[in-house]
Amino acid sequence: MIDARHRVVVTGCGTVSAIATTAPAFWEALLAGRSGIGRIPRLVVAQLPVTTGGEVTAVPPDRADRDVALANQAIDEALDAAHLHRDGAAFIWATGLDTYQQGEQGPVFRPSGSCFAALSRPFREPRRMIAAACAAGTQAIGEAYWKIRAGRIAACVAGGSSCLLSPFYIMGFAALQALATDDGGDPCTACRPFDRRRRGFALSDGAAALVLESLEAARRRGAPVLAEVVGFGMSQDGFDLNRPPEDGRGAVRCLHRAVEDAGLAPSDVDAVNAHATGTLVGDRAEAAAIRRFFGSDWNRKAVSSLKGAIGHAMAAAGALEAVAAVATCRTGLVPPTVNLHDPDEDCELRHVIGRPHEDDVRTVVSTSFGMGGQNAAVVFRRFP
Amino acid sequence: MTYLVAAALRRSAVAGPDAGPRQPRDFRRFNLPVQLALAAAAEVVPAAQDPTAMAVVSLAPCHNGSPELYRWVQNADTARSRGATAPARMNPTYTLHVIDNLALSAFVIAHGSDGYYLGVGGAPGQAWCGLEAVRERLDGGWEREALLMAGDQGGAGDALDGSGVALLFSVRRTAYAPLGRPVELLAIERSPRPEPQPVSAHAAEGLCALLHAVAHHGVGALAYEVPPQHTDGIDRVTVRLRVA
Repeated sequence: MIDARHRVVVTGCGTVSAIATTAPAFWEALLAGRSGIGRIPRLVVAQLPVTTGGEVTAVPPDRADRDVALANQAIDEALDAAHLHRDGAAFIWATGLDTYQQGEQGPVFRPSGSCFAALSRPFREPRRMIAAACAAGTQAIGEAYWKIRAGRIAACVAGGSSCLLSPFYIMGFAALQALATDDGGDPCTACRPFDRRRRGFALSDGAAALVLESLEAARRRGAPVLAEVVGFGMSQDGFDLNRPPEDGRGAVRCLHRAVEDAGLAPSDVDAVNAHATGTLVGDRAEAAAIRRFFGSDWNRKAVSSLKGAIGHAMAAAGALEAVAAVATCRTGLVPPTVNLHDPDEDCELRHVIGRPHEDDVRTVVSTSFGMGGQNAAVVFRRFP
Repeated sequence: MTYLVAAALRRSAVAGPDAGPRQPRDFRRFNLPVQLALAAAAEVVPAAQDPTAMAVVSLAPCHNGSPELYRWVQNADTARSRGATAPARMNPTYTLHVIDNLALSAFVIAHGSDGYYLGVGGAPGQAWCGLEAVRERLDGGWEREALLMAGDQGGAGDALDGSGVALLFSVRRTAYAPLGRPVELLAIERSPRPEPQPVSAHAAEGLCALLHAVAHHGVGALAYEVPPQHTDGIDRVTVRLRVA
């Protein structure tokens, strides 16, 4: 039995996303199957090939420090829930990519490091910024978990934030043919993870923060325990900058390492919060990986993706999904994959379609498979 | 025990067709910071016993981007100011120039590494987080070797003052080639500064300065106090090493 100093629990969650601006409302919207993807007027005016996305309207789009404001909203919510202050926690955070913003004299470069620097100042060290593209949010949580488990720190705010709905990003990811371009249909249906008609992802804004701490510290403070973190795994595809191997072998290694780190077997996992962004190649490889990971059990394990509901918030994606995984552990419910109506036969899994899956789910793996081939997975378990 | 085994620096004052580091053909489409980091890493990898199993810690540039990308953004802005609304199609290669884990991904694809990885973001002073991660992994017995690499440039669209650096560490007591003596990494210590200090946003320069200090230190203990501009401005950082 691991003693309380080396057990790691989640004591607070905060989210800002296209469907809600608090963690409880986020979970409610996910269970209801709502989509936050919509048409964005300024992208229409700019006549971009993609005009849909998951925008957070709580912070004005022209605010220069929008990335900092979104992140702070999620961080504040998580710390409030955990009854903790910034100076009582370390900070491991993933922020969006560097970008160009419209300045008075023309385009202005805004490095992602400036957002991190603004956020990190009040926290204890280590203040570590994670850069692993779409896997960054999950890696931030995993790094925090390992540091607490090793006894190096007692508490940490971990997660990520991104503001991606700028013409610069839209054109950049459209050039990579990763985005669902406009087809004249309902913008809410732009992103369709695992569906036969999927055609790419929808970029979105978002932020999510989790407070992780040792069980001993949480008990000492009388903090609420939402779930336990029990494992973290990572792997690298080493295959291609833009796509995973078709058989998802890197993702399989990542999943196995995560459950081994937890001292579990694949059969102990009840559900998967999938990365599934709605791309043709990525979803197929991920489905193959999940089937291989579970072996003959694959059709008994519920799999859900949030990207149809909230879009792809890159550095924030893994953290938003982790918050959902924590809620799944607490409630036993797995939210449906929004816009999944006709599963691709190459993506065969036990999908959650139309309404939440209810099966007393207790152990969840939350996965992120980043562009460039960095893979990360965190295992959450119901507490106690 | 963590020993510095090998290190490499690459500098490029001006990016041009002949000024950049020699690279595999595929790497030449990357932006200067990534090319320089990869070139430096390629120099130290031959000293590794097993590159496929070593930990790889890669620092993202503080100034990502490239002149090509910056020109595209400027052209799109000019077109917009003249009333043309739809920006021209972007070359997909330019998108890669802001991807924060590009050097890490390219290195792994080239060398087949599948051990621990850490992509550290491009905020000032993160180099010491990278060095801490190296020490944690090797002293914790998780891996036997670790690579720390970084590349950066003076400005997001300038490709000036580029530098790349790579450091290879091992649990084996091995002589650091430039000194012919083992160099042990003992600790990275932090303490809060009374007042925040101005910083320099450059992912590689702090590590370059550390290597310079090691090269000019004699035998014995070295307490290298990181200059404030190479930290995050919040912590005082001291790197403790011992040259045997």
